[in-house]
Amino acid sequence: MAEHESWLTALFNDHLAGLGQAALALVGAHAEPPQRPWANFIAMQIVVALVMVVLFALMRPKLSVDRPGRLQHVFEAVYDFIKSQVEDVGVHHGQKYVAWFGSLFLFILFANLLGIIPTFESPTMFPPVPLGCAMAAFFYFNIAGLREHGLLRYTAHFSGPVWWLAPVLFPIEIISTLARPLSLTIRLYANMYAGEQVTLAFLGIAPLAVPVVFMGLHVFVSFLQAYIFTLLTIVYVSGAVAHEH
Amino acid sequence: MKSRLFLMLALLALATPLFAAEGAAAGATNWVAITSGFAMAIASAGCALAQGKAVAAACEGMARNPGASAAIRFALILGLALIESLALYTLVIILVQVK
Repeated sequence: MAEHESWLTALFNDHLAGLGQAALALVGAHAEPPQRPWANFIAMQIVVALVMVVLFALMRPKLSVDRPGRLQHVFEAVYDFIKSQVEDVGVHHGQKYVAWFGSLFLFILFANLLGIIPTFESPTMFPPVPLGCAMAAFFYFNIAGLREHGLLRYTAHFSGPVWWLAPVLFPIEIISTLARPLSLTIRLYANMYAGEQVTLAFLGIAPLAVPVVFMGLHVFVSFLQAYIFTLLTIVYVSGAVAHEH
Repeated sequence: MKSRLFLMLALLALATPLFAAEGAAAGATNWVAITSGFAMAIASAGCALAQGKAVAAACEGMARNPGASAAIRFALILGLALIESLALYTLVIILVQVK
């Protein structure tokens, strides 16, 4: 694992060490070397969040129906893409979830792609970040289901279609629902970590032009994994809010 | 074919010392590394076979019914990513175990 701090994390640690320690103390944790509480992935996540906020802040005033700019075209395409996925999967009243899915997709995409830039690392390469995204998705689809059905009917729908299969099906459904954030986390983490390790391995063997191929593969895998994460979240939400008709 | 499979499985039985030797002494065989190699190879082989079947079925479906290409491509990508993740679970176990 990369124990070595990136230059950005060093900046955070040099100037904002007190803030980091206070934030950790809020949840009762403390950092490994106590003077340097900021981890690489925290700094990189902040970069991703800042990039997204700045991008949308720059785009918002220029939004226009008559003369759309280039950024607007790009993000309209992204929005249409997410909306079409929601409609393909068939979520009941899917429109109200599209914004959250889009945010999740863009966060994971930018986080994955950040690793391509030299001296930056993908925050999704470290286990806590995909875990955070997966727990967010887990809470989101459960809360969506609870709001749609109410507590009693939502837990009742784990028992399956017929009542006499319920004692068998209920624990199976609970376990498979709990396994969903686990699989989302591991899928995203392992893809990003393995991509980086393969690039590093070839950097040691043939440092001239070969790692570029693997960085290209990393870009493709970044898009694919962000898409798969979002798509699976959409499928879970559609399962949670589904109404038997 | 079946005898080869049994041979591979029998080779896996050599890995039982793994349970006793969590922290192997210097000079002892690193069973964790050996088993990790076999485990990852088997996981990748299974994953490749399954993905090959998925892609073959998708190509045939698209050839028979080009109009359904979009839906087939959607199912194909989803299926490939889910199968891939099974091999990746093995990789994560290896990353956790191998020092």
